[in-house]
Amino acid sequence: MKFSEEKIDLATGPVRYLKGGSGPAILHLHSAAGPRVSPALERLALKHTIYMPTMPGFNGTPAHAGVATMDALADLTADFVRATIGKGCDVIAESFGGWIALWLAVKQPDLVEQLVLEAPAGMRTKGIGGLPTDPAERNRKLYAVPERAPQDPRFEEVMPGNGKAAAGYNKGETLDAELLKALPQIKARTLLLFGTKEEVTPVEDVGRRLKTGIAHSHLSYIYGAAHAIEFDQPERVARLVGAFLERGEAFVVRTAEVA
Amino acid sequence: MKFSYFHLMPWTELDEAPQQWPASNQSFDPARGKELYDSYIDTMAFAEDCGFDWVGCNEHHFSPYGLMANCNLIGSVLTQRTKTIKLAMLGNLIPLLNPIRVAEEYAMIDVMSGGRLVAGLIRGVPHEYIAYNVVPGESRERLREATALIIKAWTEPEPFGWEGEFYQYPSVSIWPKPMQKPHPQILMSASNEESAEFAGQHRAMMGMTLIADLKIAQRCINVYRDAARAHGKEPTPADILIGQNTLIARSDEEAKEHLAAGLNYFHKVLMHSIRDAMRLVVQKSRFFAQEQYGERFVNRLATLNSRSIDEMIEAGSVLCGSPKTVIKQMKRIQGELGNGRFNLNMKIGNIPDKVVRTSMELFRDEVLPEAASL
Repeated sequence: MKFSEEKIDLATGPVRYLKGGSGPAILHLHSAAGPRVSPALERLALKHTIYMPTMPGFNGTPAHAGVATMDALADLTADFVRATIGKGCDVIAESFGGWIALWLAVKQPDLVEQLVLEAPAGMRTKGIGGLPTDPAERNRKLYAVPERAPQDPRFEEVMPGNGKAAAGYNKGETLDAELLKALPQIKARTLLLFGTKEEVTPVEDVGRRLKTGIAHSHLSYIYGAAHAIEFDQPERVARLVGAFLERGEAFVVRTAEVA
Repeated sequence: MKFSYFHLMPWTELDEAPQQWPASNQSFDPARGKELYDSYIDTMAFAEDCGFDWVGCNEHHFSPYGLMANCNLIGSVLTQRTKTIKLAMLGNLIPLLNPIRVAEEYAMIDVMSGGRLVAGLIRGVPHEYIAYNVVPGESRERLREATALIIKAWTEPEPFGWEGEFYQYPSVSIWPKPMQKPHPQILMSASNEESAEFAGQHRAMMGMTLIADLKIAQRCINVYRDAARAHGKEPTPADILIGQNTLIARSDEEAKEHLAAGLNYFHKVLMHSIRDAMRLVVQKSRFFAQEQYGERFVNRLATLNSRSIDEMIEAGSVLCGSPKTVIKQMKRIQGELGNGRFNLNMKIGNIPDKVVRTSMELFRDEVLPEAASL
């Protein structure tokens, strides 16, 4: 599946984005590692058009004046959706992107139809989980299936800058108290995905908080996945997310196609 | 030392061995079946009066070898017939079953018994995979995934979904949940090194049966201990259960005579066609990841079949004799293996129930008082 790199000028500055696939739009919000087209997204792109904006400051892109917090990134994302997709859409968000998606669903409910949060950030008690600095240990916590980790050499070049960009927005916080209070305002049906080997955003901490806070939420485990679930288990993620996005609340009802 | 009383519920009425597997059920007599179930359940409930810590049930299919196609049905009956003894399901053959159903039925037994379930999560012997038409080569990975799913089903406080390799459940929330917290004790089979490592990785108790050689058994236990330690569990003797065909009588001679007759029926009649089915699965599938373990499994069965009672005693395969003799045999095995539990199967083949009762009474009156402190 070919993804093209495009650019759009928003009020606060230019935003680069990847676009690929065909069908109903999906907004994909990337993790702190930056935008990456995972095998799971390639599968989903067979039936959807995926828009993946690069948040300002990531992959060497310039920061936008006045966009310095997580909820400001949500405002920028709302502008992006209006300018590119032109209406509300389904949203998939990984880790750091999940934090933005949560704010987007709180502040702009009309723009988020269904929400998929993959091990989202922003809801973690400090001192529980998190990513270690040791590279080997870090990789172990990200990838349960190391051979499926992305191999793009450019990734190593942009990673340090991406890490700094993420820290600039979240100010080193792990639990967004204001957002936590606002979770009950989320109206979108939400699928919460966690790997059975998740250690970065432990489900006992993050998953429970979100499941309790979001009224129409459903928590599912992806067997054999750590934090980067789209890379660890692309087939399982695409199968489940595809069913959820296509069939809404009826995704729990098995069909011959799914079988 | 703790003791478990184990029962296979064998069909005792065959005059000759079934010639092929699965065994024809043409000669099954339901009226006799009812008598056997009544008698076997009485005996299992009696285990509580005899001081056993556990009473053990198990699952087998398509064979007069055992009449417990679903051991949870017997476990359920025992919740109402006993008060304190632990109910050890040894166990459900997880890769053949719906893991959510297993989680539910085990939770029912745990709640109905007031928290007395020991949950065996067992892979099963090879030929059972023909019975339920499951790919034998998937058995280990099915067991791994199902175990994780069952534990989640027992422990998750909210409804959840599961997207796995073999199992997909979009929405799970079992009622009841188990009484024991965080969940019932889990026991896994460790009769070969592959299984022993798996049990250790899961920090489960281990169970071993059909010992043909104490040195090989010791090796398996060491593999289990190392794997458990590597996964954060320091195993204790109570985590190691050794299964033994057992006959206790007033004299050694009497015990050997009864056991020889029972084993003759067991090996020559009940096991006859099963061995062929097992061999077929072992040789024609990847039931064992390493070929050597498959060969060892087949050889072990052949060895056990060919030995005399004295040879079996010497090899640590059976406990047989007067109470004093059996205590000595237990001490020797415990010294070699470091186990803290024995699982005693006394209804071997067609040994009369009266002989089994006497064996249990002798265990209660003359073995347990001394053996409990081993």
